[in-house]
Amino acid sequence: MSDRYAVMAVTLIVWIGVFLYLLRLDAMVRELRNKK
Amino acid sequence: MSKEAELEGVKQSVVSGAYKAFVGVWMTGVILAAFLYSPEIANLKGTQIVYFHVPCAWLASLAFLGSGIYAVLYLRRQNLELDVKSASAAELGLLFCVLATVTGAVFSKANWGMAWNWDPRQTTIAALLLMYLAYFALRSALVGAEKRAAISGVYAVAACVVMPFLVFVLPRAFESLHPTVVRRGGMDPEIAVVLAASTLGFTAFGVWIFRLRVALGSIALSRMEEPL
Repeated sequence: MSDRYAVMAVTLIVWIGVFLYLLRLDAMVRELRNKK
Repeated sequence: MSKEAELEGVKQSVVSGAYKAFVGVWMTGVILAAFLYSPEIANLKGTQIVYFHVPCAWLASLAFLGSGIYAVLYLRRQNLELDVKSASAAELGLLFCVLATVTGAVFSKANWGMAWNWDPRQTTIAALLLMYLAYFALRSALVGAEKRAAISGVYAVAACVVMPFLVFVLPRAFESLHPTVVRRGGMDPEIAVVLAASTLGFTAFGVWIFRLRVALGSIALSRMEEPL
């Protein structure tokens, strides 16, 4: 059972990391588009 | 800037923000449901990986199909924006195809003791990966945006025609260890709900990545740089 929670925690951390990275990339693309 | 254009800009950023918030909250919910709500599938270890492996494979197929459709549109209209969309969809497909392969290998290791055993499903996904890797090798070898778009467009259409045989036909034509989770009437309703939610979340996530990649490609195109 504890293994399951550990895998869930890792999955959540990876997802949050990917999500935040994409948000940052999205903001950078918007900025680039506005500079065009 | 006119007031209407300003209002349109605000409206767009609100819709875009709501979309991203939806993806973030929905996928977090899917992860929690996969581990805390969903029951284990009988006789299979690591059931949770199914909720990520199946949507990855689905999204890869969808992206490869999109790549073929945009390639056909490019070949008809000769608009480089369509080539950017075709290549971006192929990139997205390749990314999720790699993720489907890796999650499948983890599942295989947990259940059958071997990450890779040349099962028909694994063999066809390896062929699919090689086919789309060759697509990017071809693109990088061609000089000139129009020439690259035309030749790789023809390749993308051919690859898109072959793709359903590799994903849906060939693996079913041979004996395989690959479990059939999506069975008519044979799936636990709780598993079906989480799998459907995960597929929806992954599709929305894929659309977001695709739009981002297309926006980057379009910016490069407008600056007369090599788009991809």
